[in-house]
Amino acid sequence: MSLKVLVVDDSSVMRSIIIKSLRMSGIPLESVIQAGNGKEALAALEQNPIDLVLVDINMPVMSGDELIVEMRQRPALSVIKVIVVSSDHTDTRMEQLGALGVPIIHKPFNPGQLKDLIISLTGVSHGESSQETAF
Amino acid sequence: MKIIVGIADMKHSNSREDSIVTHALGSCLGITIFDPSTGVGGMLHVMLPQSSIDPDKAAENPFMFVDSGVPRLFMEAYKLGAQKGRLEVRVAGGASTHGNPDDDYFQIGKRNVVMLRKLLWKNGVMIKAEEVGGTASRTMTLDLATGEVRLRINGVDHTL
Repeated sequence: MSLKVLVVDDSSVMRSIIIKSLRMSGIPLESVIQAGNGKEALAALEQNPIDLVLVDINMPVMSGDELIVEMRQRPALSVIKVIVVSSDHTDTRMEQLGALGVPIIHKPFNPGQLKDLIISLTGVSHGESSQETAF
Repeated sequence: MKIIVGIADMKHSNSREDSIVTHALGSCLGITIFDPSTGVGGMLHVMLPQSSIDPDKAAENPFMFVDSGVPRLFMEAYKLGAQKGRLEVRVAGGASTHGNPDDDYFQIGKRNVVMLRKLLWKNGVMIKAEEVGGTASRTMTLDLATGEVRLRINGVDHTL
């Protein structure tokens, strides 16, 4: 199975770094699309089937935690896996993110750490074949 | 003619005179598809979410599992002339098999629904109507004359 990934960060430089890490991780990718904030991400999720969202927290317009809450309230989006990519290490923030029940990877991270987290979350690893037939 | 769909079974028709029926939808899912232009309709009655738990059984009867049955439901309808973009999808079942859903440790009904939503989402298919969850057993009927889907719970009919 190849993953369809949405990368959400208000920094285009950070989006590029995350996407480069994804490609270097060896995780099979079908597609990677980008959004600059939570609102743009919701629009992208409505238009594209996505397996995994990598999301920053502190963003203008709509933050990452607001996006996660919104996704949880929509049945079609609630099944999508989410990883928070954050540089905020404060205890308060960690508690807030823990309450949302999503795994967190801290910046800076390396492709191997990202790969381990994605495999543990999705079960997808390099070379895995899909049991599902597209229709 | 009334066409009966058994448990872990699938049927299709393109006759406006037919109706397709399945009984005893508890934690199982009943999934109907209907193309209003061609009158092609189909119904699937699946029991479990994922074929990976028993690939031998899935090979023997793919209609037992959501991930192996649903693609066949669509592919067979295409063979009869249905088009994906026109298909109306309706879903019923996915109930808890316990009186109190909190005691339903395996949550098969809920997992069936999650698997189906994920699969349809991946394939760009929207659900037109659904009635899932609860604890009641449902009978589901697809009327190919109109495309209407009716549900019967405890002897009372309503339209989905």
